[in-house]
Amino acid sequence: MSSASEIAPASPPRDGTSGPRDTVTGPSPGRRPGSRRARRAVGTAGHHAFLLVAVAVMVLPVLWALATSFKTAGGVFDENPLPLPPTLDNYRVATQDFPVWRLLLNTTVMSAGVTLLQLLIAVPAAYALVRFPPRAHRAVTAIVAITLLVPPQSLVIPLFLMISHLGWRNTLPGLILPQLFGTGLAVILLRDHVRAVSPTILGAAALDGARPFEVLRLVLLPILRPALGAVSILLFITAWNEYLWPVLAAPDIDHATIQPGLAFFLTQEGPEYGPLLAGSMLATLPIVVVYFLASRRVTDAFMHSGLR
Amino acid sequence: MEERGTRHAPPVGRARDRARPWLYLSPLLVALLVFVYGPLVFTGVLSFMSWNLTAPHPSWLGLANYQRLVEAPQFPHAARNTLLYAAGMLPFATVVPMALAIALWKRPGRTSAVYRALLFLPVVLAPVASAITWQFLLDPLSGLVNVVGSWFGFGPRNWLGDPSSALWSIVLITSLKVVALNVLLFGAALANLERGVIEAARLDGATEGEITRHLVLPHLRRTIVLLGLLSLVVVWPWIFANVAVLTQGGPDGSTDNVYYRLFTYAFTFFDAGTASAAAVVITAALAVVLGLGLLGARRTNGEPVPFTRRLVKVGAARRRQGKRSSVLG
Amino acid sequence: MHRKSLAHRLRRSVTAAGALVAATALAAVAACGGSSRSDTAAATASATDKPVTISFLSYNYGTPDIGGQGTQALLDAFKKEHPNITVKPQGVAAADVLTKLQTDTAAGDPPDVAQIGWSKMAAAYQLLPIVPVQDIPTKSDWDTSMAGFNQHLLSAVAVGGKVKAVPYTISIPVIYYNADLFKKAGLDPNKPPTTVDEVKADALAIKSKADAEGAYFAVVDSGKSDYLTQSVIASNGGKEIGSDGMPSFDQPAAVSALSAMQDLTTSGAQPAITATSAVAAFAAGKLGMLVGSTAALASIKKASTGKFELRTTGFPSFGSKPAAPTYSGAGLAVLSKDKDKQQAAWEFIKFLTSAEGFTIITSKIGYLPLRPELATDPKYLQPFFASNKLLSPALAQLDNVSPYRSFAGKNASQAVVALQDDAVEPIVLRGADPAKTLSTVASQVRSVLGQK
Repeated sequence: MSSASEIAPASPPRDGTSGPRDTVTGPSPGRRPGSRRARRAVGTAGHHAFLLVAVAVMVLPVLWALATSFKTAGGVFDENPLPLPPTLDNYRVATQDFPVWRLLLNTTVMSAGVTLLQLLIAVPAAYALVRFPPRAHRAVTAIVAITLLVPPQSLVIPLFLMISHLGWRNTLPGLILPQLFGTGLAVILLRDHVRAVSPTILGAAALDGARPFEVLRLVLLPILRPALGAVSILLFITAWNEYLWPVLAAPDIDHATIQPGLAFFLTQEGPEYGPLLAGSMLATLPIVVVYFLASRRVTDAFMHSGLR
Repeated sequence: MEERGTRHAPPVGRARDRARPWLYLSPLLVALLVFVYGPLVFTGVLSFMSWNLTAPHPSWLGLANYQRLVEAPQFPHAARNTLLYAAGMLPFATVVPMALAIALWKRPGRTSAVYRALLFLPVVLAPVASAITWQFLLDPLSGLVNVVGSWFGFGPRNWLGDPSSALWSIVLITSLKVVALNVLLFGAALANLERGVIEAARLDGATEGEITRHLVLPHLRRTIVLLGLLSLVVVWPWIFANVAVLTQGGPDGSTDNVYYRLFTYAFTFFDAGTASAAAVVITAALAVVLGLGLLGARRTNGEPVPFTRRLVKVGAARRRQGKRSSVLG
Repeated sequence: MHRKSLAHRLRRSVTAAGALVAATALAAVAACGGSSRSDTAAATASATDKPVTISFLSYNYGTPDIGGQGTQALLDAFKKEHPNITVKPQGVAAADVLTKLQTDTAAGDPPDVAQIGWSKMAAAYQLLPIVPVQDIPTKSDWDTSMAGFNQHLLSAVAVGGKVKAVPYTISIPVIYYNADLFKKAGLDPNKPPTTVDEVKADALAIKSKADAEGAYFAVVDSGKSDYLTQSVIASNGGKEIGSDGMPSFDQPAAVSALSAMQDLTTSGAQPAITATSAVAAFAAGKLGMLVGSTAALASIKKASTGKFELRTTGFPSFGSKPAAPTYSGAGLAVLSKDKDKQQAAWEFIKFLTSAEGFTIITSKIGYLPLRPELATDPKYLQPFFASNKLLSPALAQLDNVSPYRSFAGKNASQAVVALQDDAVEPIVLRGADPAKTLSTVASQVRSVLGQK
């Protein structure tokens, strides 16, 4: 995509001053005419080359997994990455011999629940830490930051004991609530974004008579949309990828989630690679949906010129 | 002109205003107290005991678990590896995704949206599936990586089975996920940047490199530091998934790290006491590292430079080079 | 608005935190207090008629493969015979069995019957409140039920003369070989190797003439199990673990056994790759011989169909010494403290290990039938073995199995991991000095075992 400067080189300078035109449209001293266009072309080529290489590397494993999900049991071990002959048998196993939809539903509900709860808790906290920090705010920040450092594997056992004594095993609250241990991450990320928002805008709203909560809801949240989009994707995926906690907290097949579920394909009688990859392909669908929903907020902001 | 980055006002003295921050912070503090600090205390106590949670009589060991941790060769070795992992992941958490995000941001449009979506793909694949995929791709006998390498004359390498290459292989395959997610996060940070002034600078003949260096990068400075530090925190579960499926800490402990050690003590040896000691040590060490990192960041530059001042800087730089401009002059 | 929810949250958090503290204290106290177990073999006859529900943890249950289908078949058949006993099965990934059992026990709610891997059994005995199965029925009930069971195996698994966990899905290592590659290398597939030296010779032939890798002994197990290490050492007349539970793998017989494995690699007969990679290579038709457990038979057969002719033969011996592989797989353990549930658990285990049970296990899942007469009984497994020759070599070696031993004490699993990671893998795959390495690791293991 070429930038606006190529289309309208003769437009007057932005700030309204009328300087001599030749400094805007004419060639700068020491530069050959037309070289800027050449440089632009090279820049575009380089831009696309750079991105294409990156995309190729990132996409390779997913493509391989997709192709292999259509391979026969013997074909999985072939050197040729393409499934020849292709088969739908793996998908049949993944959908009929395996409760993949129930697991995906459980996982989606769990991840959405964790994400929403974390945002509900983190947004006001980040707002308060930036807009009206209490005198002890450094201590609060330290308390939050330290929770990021605790290895989750060590929390799993005490949290498990906690929920089993509350009778919350195989229940949604038991599955979701302890995952709030990761809320610190959302707070730190959002705090940074709130800080980047101009205090003038928020101050102006307050001067207009809005109470802090209204400022948060009506002024800050819309501005934070791209940040909320990106952070919510991160939180959703973190919850989606959880393995150890759901194994302990929701072992029953009715409440189990997809990551422990996929591990079932690594059976004692040999890993079932084809069905595992087929199940994983199906498991990408909810994430892709979430990505498109949430990233729209991020990319929309790119289309506009940022803050007004 | 707007000024950015000045401090937000401190609270006024009324009681209601003094209570307000705590109202907004209390759900967070309660959640962290119950779901992190409570279990942390449990873990701390357990680290001084010998108990596998099921035996009838836990016994008090004092510092024996910590001693065992430090004396056995595996934990210090794992600690060293952890530093290597962190150093290896850092460029993929900062420089690489930032470059990609900036490239995408500079040319908004459908192509960039497509690139952006494709760059996100590594993250959508389940950790187990991703690990199995790389197991096949890196297979020494028939993996795609070695097959393609042989086209270019490279001999077959045992990526995950050779102690000298195993850790870096894990770093590289995990980096894809880190890059994918951080492209998103850098993108969100870039959303705050005024596109209009960039356009004006371009109009004026500033090169892309100048624009990037003087207008975009300073805006991202804090994000770089933040994501760099955060990656040191967030990346471990992904590394763990790959290590657990692909190398189980080997070969010769070359892919072991303190988190995998912790997991091994807890769920392979069922030695909850030593595992708890490892958790305490990890948390304390990270706290020290983070503390030093934050102190360093505050020392260099905590405030983002106001946009107008940056424009003036670019103008000054260009004037030195003999270029004249009305916008930036 | 905020205040009310704050107070509510505070109360809840205090409750939760208090519950956590109380739970910890309770768990410790309750377990402390009940140290004397009043077990008895006197079963009440009416116990089997009352409706009872027992929970069964199995890593085969619910898996989308033959393991899952076979287990379901067993459950259905049991339900038909014992309608008053309801079995609630729970699935779990194979790697998470002990974790789940530990946490369930800590929460006070372990399953009544559990399928536990043999390499994890010693840890399970340490960790879990396992009720020896032999203690549950009357002596006559036990003797009758176990009459047709492979007595050699039964005595091998007994601890102090008592069977704590009953062998259930058992497998033995065999040599899988690719008949097509044999022919291509000029070898006769009807005369597979019987000794380690013959394996090496055939492997080198395959390597040079059939453009494929030769052989692979899966000693470096991906799950860090030492069952093949023990098999190899025992076949050379040595012992990995002495009768006192202390390491004896630094003794000459063990050292030379592992040196032989190293020699396979250094001579080029064996590629220096992981076991997972070797299975993949074999399934792709690029490896001539694979020495591994029969548990993988079904999946290897599926992968080889249409690609090459798969055959099996018995575990090789060292020269003239008898081959003495040990077994892997799983056994059934009882964790219930309730008398009625224990009886129901016994009925369940009795069924699973009966003639009918093993018929389903062997024909549907592919594990070995642990009752020798079944293989030749037309009512049970004779038709199966008539058309499925691949399992026969393992069956023939069942009477010569050496017992699977475990290190003594609560750090046994750590010792096994140390042996596999620090000794076996470097020796077999990377040319470490066998005698020196084994001796170093042996003293390492001795100190680990001695730790509290």
